[in-house]
Amino acid sequence: MTDSPSGGLSRRRFLTSSGALGALALAGCTEQSSGSGSGSGSGTGTSAGGSTDSAGGQLSGEITLTGSSTVYPLATAIGNEFQKEHDQVDISLSPTGSGGGFSNHFCVGNSDFNNASRPITQSEQDLCSENGVEYHEINVATDALTVIVNTENDWVDCMTPDQLRQIWRADGASTWADVNADWPDEPIKRFGAADTSGTFDYFNEAILGEEANHTGNYEATEKDNLILQGVQQDQYGIGYFGFAYYQGNQSAVKALGIDNGNGCVKPSIESAKAGEYKPLSRPLFTYPRKEALAEEHIAEFARFYVEQSANADLVSEQIGFVPKTEETMQSELEALNQVISEVQ
Amino acid sequence: MATKAPTQTEFGEVSRIKGIVFKYVSFVASIVGILALGVLLAYVFWDALGLESAGTGWYLAYTGTLLVPLLAFFAYARTRPEVVAGAFELFSLTLAGVMLTVASVIILSIIASPAVWFAYFLTVVGPLLALFVYGQYEREATWVGLAMLLTLVAGPVVGTLGLGILTTLGSLLGSPGVYFLSLVIPGAALAAFLAAERFDASRRLSLGIGVALPALAVVAVPLVDTVPAISRSVWLIALVMLGLPVGYAVANTARTRERRSAFALPVIAVAGFLAGGAIVDAIGATKPSPWLDWQYLTSSPSISNAAEAGLYPAIIGSIFLIVLVSVFTFVFGVGAAIYLEEYAPDNGVLGTATRIINVNISNLAGVPSVVYGLLGLGIFVNIEAQLGPLTYGGFGVGTVFTAALTLSLLILPIVIISAQEAIRSVPSSLRQASYGMGATRWQTIRNVVLPRSLPGILTGTILALGRAIGETAPLIMIGAATTKFSPPAGLFSKLTAMPMQIYAWAFLPGEDFRYGVVAAGVVTLLIVMLTMNSVAILVRNKYQQEAN
Repeated sequence: MTDSPSGGLSRRRFLTSSGALGALALAGCTEQSSGSGSGSGSGTGTSAGGSTDSAGGQLSGEITLTGSSTVYPLATAIGNEFQKEHDQVDISLSPTGSGGGFSNHFCVGNSDFNNASRPITQSEQDLCSENGVEYHEINVATDALTVIVNTENDWVDCMTPDQLRQIWRADGASTWADVNADWPDEPIKRFGAADTSGTFDYFNEAILGEEANHTGNYEATEKDNLILQGVQQDQYGIGYFGFAYYQGNQSAVKALGIDNGNGCVKPSIESAKAGEYKPLSRPLFTYPRKEALAEEHIAEFARFYVEQSANADLVSEQIGFVPKTEETMQSELEALNQVISEVQ
Repeated sequence: MATKAPTQTEFGEVSRIKGIVFKYVSFVASIVGILALGVLLAYVFWDALGLESAGTGWYLAYTGTLLVPLLAFFAYARTRPEVVAGAFELFSLTLAGVMLTVASVIILSIIASPAVWFAYFLTVVGPLLALFVYGQYEREATWVGLAMLLTLVAGPVVGTLGLGILTTLGSLLGSPGVYFLSLVIPGAALAAFLAAERFDASRRLSLGIGVALPALAVVAVPLVDTVPAISRSVWLIALVMLGLPVGYAVANTARTRERRSAFALPVIAVAGFLAGGAIVDAIGATKPSPWLDWQYLTSSPSISNAAEAGLYPAIIGSIFLIVLVSVFTFVFGVGAAIYLEEYAPDNGVLGTATRIINVNISNLAGVPSVVYGLLGLGIFVNIEAQLGPLTYGGFGVGTVFTAALTLSLLILPIVIISAQEAIRSVPSSLRQASYGMGATRWQTIRNVVLPRSLPGILTGTILALGRAIGETAPLIMIGAATTKFSPPAGLFSKLTAMPMQIYAWAFLPGEDFRYGVVAAGVVTLLIVMLTMNSVAILVRNKYQQEAN
């Protein structure tokens, strides 16, 4: 359209003509884009750091969750659901271990929620109050800690807490025969949680108690699949981890029942829910920071978290924890709303 | 077999056995290493693409239409270096174009909004381009370099101060308008310039090219509107970022007669792919069900459902990160190397200081990445310092900016060392000749030293960037998130990177996660990295040819 036949084009002429073309094109573009309703190209055009533009009642802002790697799948699933409803809310999750999350992130004010597979300890409470961090405790689900052995282990289906204590205490049994003379005279290969993990803390407390120490003679890891592989490959292996991991790998290893005086109880969602699987069923927690709850999007997420904890499909089918009952969920929600109304 | 006791002949016989043993041991060792890696990658690709579930018909169809013609093309090209060069240029420039398009879409429209980009285009990028072009035409104007530097420093400040007004201006234009003004118009100018200078096109033809590009941008809009996956903004960005490199490669290949058969490669690839698909549909063969598909690239991560899992926030995070890291390391790394090689005194007290710095940089290259993570945590996150009236409190836990600075620290020593090596390899006779012509030290560096050493500098930088994009430990230390459901919104929002999310998936209970989803993540990471490397190889080859 600007290709004039007058030989060499002058620079000015080219500039004017291309400028005209550009203006024309631009006008076309803008008009079209405003005409075709809600701009086809600017779908994701939000400006950086827009935590204030909640004018239309839409929640926005950042939420940071740290803590237990046991609770991490549950928190991620709930976060994903929440994000689907509020796409302006930016959720970050990091599995740091219960203790790691409290001491490195939560109690120094760097995260809004800390998940934990055991209640907060005294030293962590001290650290939090030292830094002026106040928190609220929410019980979000129950886990059945599962003791596993190799599928070729044909001598044991059930153990008493006392037998477990002999195997896992420091200076305890070194061969299976030491625990029970009928069992093979082979060394026990132990695979368990590392001492930064809440699983370790809970197992320690529930099985070993105050008077005994956890043995150091075992493969310690934060990674459940390493425990699974270790037990899977060793006929004389034994290990423990959360029920969720067993639920995903039921054919790979054999789960032991626990005989706490009332006969053998196998770990399952039902037995843990009924309160029969003792002493290895454990509560799981999340700790929101009170100061953070003052922000509407965080308060809303905390409510959502509590509400979802009674969602059996999500908690037990997808993740493998015991969901809360409707009544216990309601009382958690009331307590949470109480706290939120205090800080807001 | 060749050992002999010393004989009576005067020179005796020398044993060659050590050399032969060394040669074959090295050969076998490298073959074993490469094979092991190859087998591992084959497994990963096998899982990621779900090839297990594909039927025989699918394999046969694609072998016939795609694999055999490609092999035939390689056999044909083997003896013709011009064809290989042409095919490589076509391939890598297309890859580079795709990479540039993706990176631009991510940076210009997902991370910064079009209006914000327009503000900085007006205050920084636009003036810089204008000054650069003016400097090319008016060689005498020595103030241009200084003015560019000034724009680089003052532009961002002005842009940030006037962000309110300028973004309003940008929103008035609408995002396609912004991209038309800021990308298509400069792109058209560049195309016209390249046509005239590189390909000696007639003046009219180059002007025609310059006008055709914006015209095409507008004319194709109704067509683009029919494709829901491509918005107008994406179309404009792709036209410039993908169209220009591909156009350049095509023009460059078509220019030389011997290279023209290189066009067979894209034709074979596209036609073979389409024909294979048609045959598979016709005979009803079972297709593979890949983990790595469009859904995987565009959805957010899931922990409970492997089929819904995606890597989108992590991909965006990684690319955002690597773009920032490459800017930081290139500027600081090459700057430091130039200073140390060309300016720093090498005798006297200051010379000792230079030597100490050099030794330290060499040592820093070997420091584990966790330590850099701690360093980053210390100086970019946990610090609180009072500098006169200003309080510096770090850049936030796990933010994009903190992560980019930490990773830059990690790879800076490697970049500096390789850049120093490259600068040192420029013969000093060239420098002396330049000084002899009356050039200043800066002119010598710019016109003699840098062009000769750029291939080496780029090689080192790209290798280091490849390391940075796969790093996990420093990111964990500075508190980057493992899982996020949306990409980072700006420099100071939290990010997750591909290795973090892949690592989290690797320890989930489900087999689908540990094999399928993780494998797909690894392949994505590899593809991004290899694309980056291939672009670097191309640039390096180009400069090497020019230097020879």
